Amino acid sequence: MSDFDPGRRRFLGHLGLAGLGALGASSFLSACASSASGPTTSNGSGAVTIQSNLSSPQAKAAMEKLIETFNAQGKGTASLNTIASETFRTQLPTYLTSANPPDLYTWYAGSVANDYASKNLLLDVSEVWKSLDDYPQSLRTLSTDAIGKQIFVPMNNYWWGFFYRKSNFAKWGVQEPKTWTEFLALCETLKGKGVPPIGIGLGDTPWVASAWFDYLNIRINGAPFHRELLAGKQRFDDPKVKAVFTRWREALPYFDPKGKAYPFQEATTALLAGKTGMFLIGTFFADAAPKDALGDLDFFRFPIIDPAVPLAEEAPTDGFFASAKTANPTGTRALLSYLAGVEAQEAYVKASSGIVLPANPRAKASDSPLVVKGKAMLNEAKELTQFFNRDSSDALQPTADTALTKFIDKPDQIDAILREWQAGAEKVFKG
Amino acid sequence: MNKLRTGAFHTGMILLSLLWLGPVLWVVVMSTRSFDDIAAHGVGSLPRSFTLDTYRQAWTDGGELRALINSMLVTVPSVALSLGLAAMAAFALSRFRIPGRRTILLLMLAGNLLPPQILLIPVAKFSELTGLYDTLWALIAVQVGFGLGFYTFVLHGFMRDLPGEIQEAATIDGAGTAQIFTRVMLPLTRPALAALGALSFTWIFNDLLWAITVLRTDDNMPVTPALLALQGQFVSSWNVIAAGTVIAAVPTVAVFLRFQRHFVSGLALGAVK
Repeated sequence: MSDFDPGRRRFLGHLGLAGLGALGASSFLSACASSASGPTTSNGSGAVTIQSNLSSPQAKAAMEKLIETFNAQGKGTASLNTIASETFRTQLPTYLTSANPPDLYTWYAGSVANDYASKNLLLDVSEVWKSLDDYPQSLRTLSTDAIGKQIFVPMNNYWWGFFYRKSNFAKWGVQEPKTWTEFLALCETLKGKGVPPIGIGLGDTPWVASAWFDYLNIRINGAPFHRELLAGKQRFDDPKVKAVFTRWREALPYFDPKGKAYPFQEATTALLAGKTGMFLIGTFFADAAPKDALGDLDFFRFPIIDPAVPLAEEAPTDGFFASAKTANPTGTRALLSYLAGVEAQEAYVKASSGIVLPANPRAKASDSPLVVKGKAMLNEAKELTQFFNRDSSDALQPTADTALTKFIDKPDQIDAILREWQAGAEKVFKG
Repeated sequence: MNKLRTGAFHTGMILLSLLWLGPVLWVVVMSTRSFDDIAAHGVGSLPRSFTLDTYRQAWTDGGELRALINSMLVTVPSVALSLGLAAMAAFALSRFRIPGRRTILLLMLAGNLLPPQILLIPVAKFSELTGLYDTLWALIAVQVGFGLGFYTFVLHGFMRDLPGEIQEAATIDGAGTAQIFTRVMLPLTRPALAALGALSFTWIFNDLLWAITVLRTDDNMPVTPALLALQGQFVSSWNVIAAGTVIAAVPTVAVFLRFQRHFVSGLALGAVK
């Protein structure tokens, strides 16, 4: 070590130099970066910022168009901010709790929204709902928090079902099943023809298995029990829950064995190529289908198991909520009213390629046979559920993923799996 | 025997480099396929279509131009500022008897041992407190702050080994500390600075974590989160993402090709003590 002591004065001089250097560097920096770092905040009368997770190209374009129209109407100004949906999911709590949060957010209705509402993070939008009196009661209930004020404005919803290719079903000479027995018979027929009957995609997207759990539970135990279970008021090691898995086991031999390895997008490809017979999935999967295959798609509802249980369907609802800390509540509510209106909802449905149903009952959905059938199915249902994570929380979802993938691997260990699931869920509910 | 050995060596190396280049090649091929081709046959199948429209989509719809500009606005000042500050700190710590210099150095290094994930929330809150949240300034500050410890450590090691006689000679010739630093030490440290500059450029340019922690407006996002934003909620156009990835790789590859020599020496920095 070649130490060199120039004395205290020199040392101080050096410190001064360092300070000067830092100053110089930062002034150079300001010349470089000032063009990009303008403030993006909104004050009382400024633009309403929408933080959107609709990052797929079509949905993003659809939102951009909506905001453009709103700005042209002159009732206020809004600016759209599209964030990658995965980033959005992890950052949403940070956005909401920040000192100067964005005004409006795309997100899910139900318990996830109510969670934020219980922490006083969401704006009361009851005023917007006053003009939405023709919305169905189910959507109103869904958008209401624990103390009875509306905190959510729904934009659209979609449905889940067993999707298949019409041409393939015709080729195999099979019909849509109505009941569980018919469903199992169909599986047996397809298996006899050498086609894995039930497609699934659990690699990277293990949450897809939750659709099976949700549906079996609402078919066997009914939607109220399902909600209570997901809210921590029932136990996962209850015999009623075990009954769900007993049924599931009957269908398990018909699952595509390759489904554990690839994500649902590839399971879609397998279904379209005729490598699997049918696929329990939400309508969003159609975005992953080539356009020429869309006309050949059809679906049937999850088969009835116990006719005595009131019919329920999964209908995840997407929409908007606003931050309680917004600097411009009037503008935010005006924008929400616009987004809930017929014109905006029809424009969104038309522009986004996804198969979605507008929340506004007066807004026309696309008139493709698939959408007509889906809408009829949801209208017939006595109760609507959202989806596992939307009816519980993103924190409970991983416990379901673990339990369900384990069950599909080792169905005979179901008792131990359910005990572990209950223990995992208790931790989530306590935390 | 010798020929056989050379042959075996070359075959082995060719296979190994193919293994290395395979994924890159796959991305390039994927970027030229149409969406319907990928949707119908899967991402892993052989290409049955050819299009360059994906690059247009990534560039215009994905807003890559804006994102690349943002990346450069963050990366260039961050590299310059952190290396400048680190060089000064290293100079002081290695050439002067500053009390507790060892502790200072170890403290700076210790900061690098903390996993950045545990600092995400503090950094987000702190950038809000200082009013820098959602500006590129915040990202620059974070990158400089997190790089500083490591760069100082490396440069300290390098400067310490420079012969003290050079400095003494400069002092006898009447040079002050500032002059010694700028006219003697910095030129001598150039190889280390070049290597660190090339490395830090790729690190900062490729960073995603801090960008999404301190930024929330899409117009401010650098290129890595912009690529992420090309992904849909459920379904992604992998061909467009692949094209975007290829575009985003260009600056780092350019830096690598230009500073190739320093990269290798950079990896060996501090290895020989």
